Amino acid sequence: MVLFIAQGLIWTVIITLSSFALGALFGVFVALARSASSRVIRALARIYVDMIRSVPPLVWLFIVFFGLAELGLKLSPLQSAIVTFSVIASAYLGEIYRGGLASLGSGQIEAAQSIGLSRFDLLARIISPQIFRTVSPSMVTYGIGLMKDSALASTIGVVEMTFRANQVTQSTGMGLTSFAIVGGIYLALSIPLGLWARRVDEKMRKKYVVN
Amino acid sequence: MSTENKTYLSARNITKDFGTTRVLDDVSMDIQSGDVVSIIGPSGAGKSTFLRCMNLLETPTSGTVEIGDFAITLGAGRSTASKKELATLRRNVGMVFQSFNLFPHLTVLENICLAQRRVLGRDAEQARVRAFELLDRVGLKDKSEEYPGRCSGGQQQRVAIARSLSLDPQVMLFDEPTSALDPEVGAEILAVMRELAEEGMTMMVVTHEMGFARQVGDKVHVMVGGRIVESGDPEQVMTQPSHERTRQFLAAVLGR
Ligand SMILES: Nc1ncnc2c1ncn2[C@@H]1O[C@H](COP(=O)(O)OP(=O)(O)O)[C@@H](O)[C@H]1O
Ligand SMILES: [Mg+2]
Repeated sequence: MVLFIAQGLIWTVIITLSSFALGALFGVFVALARSASSRVIRALARIYVDMIRSVPPLVWLFIVFFGLAELGLKLSPLQSAIVTFSVIASAYLGEIYRGGLASLGSGQIEAAQSIGLSRFDLLARIISPQIFRTVSPSMVTYGIGLMKDSALASTIGVVEMTFRANQVTQSTGMGLTSFAIVGGIYLALSIPLGLWARRVDEKMRKKYVVN
Repeated sequence: MSTENKTYLSARNITKDFGTTRVLDDVSMDIQSGDVVSIIGPSGAGKSTFLRCMNLLETPTSGTVEIGDFAITLGAGRSTASKKELATLRRNVGMVFQSFNLFPHLTVLENICLAQRRVLGRDAEQARVRAFELLDRVGLKDKSEEYPGRCSGGQQQRVAIARSLSLDPQVMLFDEPTSALDPEVGAEILAVMRELAEEGMTMMVVTHEMGFARQVGDKVHVMVGGRIVESGDPEQVMTQPSHERTRQFLAAVLGR
């Protein structure tokens, strides 16, 4: 039974990692749009973020899976889950980046501009590495949340752990055991991730003491 | 390129508004190649804003910034400079800040090499050689592998000067480079600046160091309330100021 349920882990991992990676990438654009000099762009980005955060992930998942199908765009359950969680992650991670950007202070950006660095270099070599250090703990926390949310994909038919545990329960009636196994696997994933994030953070803190 | 005794950097009729507040009101200033110009005045006068307009870190509401034969005019429907204008200006104008603004995630050496490689396109070895030349000059050769967080304020400011010089600028802007430092440490920075001036660097310096303005500066401008109220020979301005606001300011600064 453990093995049967654990086979669903692959989908949990695929959904979590791909959505996190895509969300982390698009989140950069969200953060840039949120701090753009144009008021219109800032307002649009704000609406995007607020809209995503105000609606439960399950509802977004259904909108993407059932809603888009109705409009003629038929996505598989897995595709729907990845699209939904990527978009949601882009909003949350974008806000996390923006917080880091605000804490960076204008001096760094001015210094980079004064030596003529391009906007790309400013972002890639000055801003990103510095805010990565401050935001990585929040990013990992979000990633753990995302992993837990990926269980929602079972509702549209992705055969991940929760889905399988449900199958087991239907056929054997052993609901407590099967879902305890799912819980245990999530626990076994979350705890090391959290510890790893803390270690990385401490290591980087030691490397360049900022005064 | 500029020749000796030709106006190198000039600001003409610079006005800057923040919202409805006018922070700079029709400020004009020229600097000749090889000269050192000081800008003094009370806090809040607009000195930093003016200096930042000279390399367009701050975009003037209207006015012209001219470097060599290259002029950038803003206002009259034009509210931003083009990428090319910014690049040209910043390639020729270096800036040193009151708060150093070194990149804390890069070592001293990386701080000095980054723009050499990414902006001037020097290769790693060329950039390194130039960086060590400059570090040697500011007396910090042995700090090349340190992170800025492990350097004292005075050391950080010297690295910042080296970082700026690494791009071989035609003009250097200094915004109160010693204000965040203890007086003895500030004196070391002033010594470095004095040396630069003697080697013929064109410099525009916002400072509260009257001694520096007087001994090193070729000209001083007194800024009060977003306007230049008095300009001239530093000795003249400091011993016989012609404007009441200058007198008040000097009394406040020198009286301390
Ligand atoms: N980004 C800004 N937004 C609004 N007001 C500003 C900004 N920067 C500076 N000011 C205002 O402009 C005036 C001049 O500031 P500043 O140029 O820093 O003066 P100084 O360097 O002479 O002390 C001050 O009143 C300051 O509050
Ligand atoms: Mg100032």
